[in-house]
Amino acid sequence: MKRFNRYALYEVMAPLVGFAASMALLMLIVVAVGENPGNAVDAIWKMTFATSTRTATVLSTSVPLFLAGLAVAFAFRANIFNIGVEGQYFIGGLVGAMAGIYVPLPAFLHIPFVVLAAMIGGALWAAIPAALKVGRGIHEVITTIMFNNIALALVNYLVNGPMSGLGATGSLEPQTRHILPTALFANIDWLFRAAGWNVPDSVYLDYSLPVAVLAGVLVWFILFRLRIGFDLRAVGTSTDVSLYAGIKVAKVQLGAFLFSGALAGLVGLQEIFAVRGYYTFQIASGLGFDGIAIALIGRNSPVGVAFAALLFAFLRQAGYGLQFFTKVPNSVISVITGLMILIIVVSNELVSRYIKALRKKEAM
Amino acid sequence: MHWGTLFDYICKGLDTSAPLAFAALGGVFSEKSGVVNIALEGGMLFSAFSIVWGSIIFHSLWLGLLFAVVIGMAFAAIHAVVTITYKVNQIISGVALNILAEGIARFLSQNIFGQETQSAMNPYSFPSYRGMNVFSLVVIPVAILSWFVLNKTVFGLRLRSVGENPEAADTLGINVTLMRYSGVLISGAMCGLSAAVLYPSRWVSGMTGGRGFIALAAMIFGRWSPIGAVLASLLFGYADAARISFASSIQIPSQFVQMFPYVLAVVVLAGVVGRSRAPAADGVPYEKGED
Repeated sequence: MKRFNRYALYEVMAPLVGFAASMALLMLIVVAVGENPGNAVDAIWKMTFATSTRTATVLSTSVPLFLAGLAVAFAFRANIFNIGVEGQYFIGGLVGAMAGIYVPLPAFLHIPFVVLAAMIGGALWAAIPAALKVGRGIHEVITTIMFNNIALALVNYLVNGPMSGLGATGSLEPQTRHILPTALFANIDWLFRAAGWNVPDSVYLDYSLPVAVLAGVLVWFILFRLRIGFDLRAVGTSTDVSLYAGIKVAKVQLGAFLFSGALAGLVGLQEIFAVRGYYTFQIASGLGFDGIAIALIGRNSPVGVAFAALLFAFLRQAGYGLQFFTKVPNSVISVITGLMILIIVVSNELVSRYIKALRKKEAM
Repeated sequence: MHWGTLFDYICKGLDTSAPLAFAALGGVFSEKSGVVNIALEGGMLFSAFSIVWGSIIFHSLWLGLLFAVVIGMAFAAIHAVVTITYKVNQIISGVALNILAEGIARFLSQNIFGQETQSAMNPYSFPSYRGMNVFSLVVIPVAILSWFVLNKTVFGLRLRSVGENPEAADTLGINVTLMRYSGVLISGAMCGLSAAVLYPSRWVSGMTGGRGFIALAAMIFGRWSPIGAVLASLLFGYADAARISFASSIQIPSQFVQMFPYVLAVVVLAGVVGRSRAPAADGVPYEKGED
């Protein structure tokens, strides 16, 4: 048991080393740009943990990131690279918004209805790449990237054309009609205040947060408590062995791909139903790619993904802090993110080599 | 259609095909050696920045191009070290490098040109003929040379062998690591060349717009052969040129016209597979059988 703990400790160390090293690199870049590192640290602090508003913002920012990471991680578990989370959340958000705009329902039904609609939309957008992957062996990385681009053009057309709400809303930006009030996500800041954390209601801590928590628990339950999750993880570990074991690999991968798309459909909920109250093709993009990094750093487990999403939310706010209060450009965060992923994956590899060597030595 | 218009279209199509073709050739070298390189997108973007930067620094387009090729190779070298030496998952490394490339280019642009989203104009550029950057024609000799190197030289045979069966190649005394490094570095150099035809007059954030991924689709459609990859790139390039040239005269919403190359890529991939086979060890890190 003691030995097991030591190995686990080494494995936790890799991401920590990656984080520390990338923060050190960040400071080097700060100095290279001619900024005082003290100012930079101060700027990051001000934007992240200085006040409860800032901390709540980090938590709020982490919600879509967590869902994107969760979607990617679930597919990863079945050895599928869902690079299409990007397109899936644009379409999922669109279908969810349609359910919120055109279907009048009482609030207690409407909220679950739009969440479900968003999941179905995301799954639908994953369906063709999934079918091509399972049926014809076409690598999902290529097809999902194509589908991302198709999705962007499609929502652009719909928002500017058939679904345009310009006349109805009086807005100058292309957008749909307003979502019915019964489907809007209210803030749950009262919940945090009741728990003793003084969160202002200007920060978006809304229904999307419990939705994300439920999604995380659901993924954990499927992966680690259900037979289907066992099969899924077996397929992820080795397709060949799974085939021998009689697992229907194609079926499992298809299911994993579709459910990953369904999870991806949830990514845009916060922005569409809490922040904006309407749909537009200008909702935040790039979350799907962040999700890949988050899933990887979180080692494809729901808890790991939650930590990684908080880390990314922290980095994003830190970037705004640097841009706001220092002369370090925001792009430095992309540089650091890319480097951090590389450092973490390489240290993961080094750690697993080291553990392998240790095990070998102990076996002798 | 007027002959002059048709000729313009032929030239314009070559112009839009060339960046894809160079990148697809890069993809062929990398994947033939057994390394999937989805960082072509980032490599192209960073090289596109480097050719503008290099030309301005060295007051010469040719030195700028050389600089872009060197940067493209240096960028690919990161992929090589991470995936070949450290055996990290190749897709993950590619994703990280694409994030990194966008960040570095924007960061450098801010510090060198004072703007995060675009560089200064590059006063040096290749001559243009009927809307075609004449450097686009260079893709033809490069494609033939690539075919020759891969199929008619010992180096090419070795490169292909480590992508098909690294164990056997290793047994025969071929240095698997060296060959895979070569494949990945050549793909980086090709990203540098693609920068010369992408838009050498200015770098703009996000200017590659997914071309690196379309190039990968072209490579698959071209069955991992240099000539096939270039022909597939021409298909995508001409489809794109048709979009640009004829969009105004077609009565369909512009967004559907925009989708066209991507839908085409999916349809083409769906139709071709089964007949198209990746190198057997493509994407699989090589572990020497020591334990």
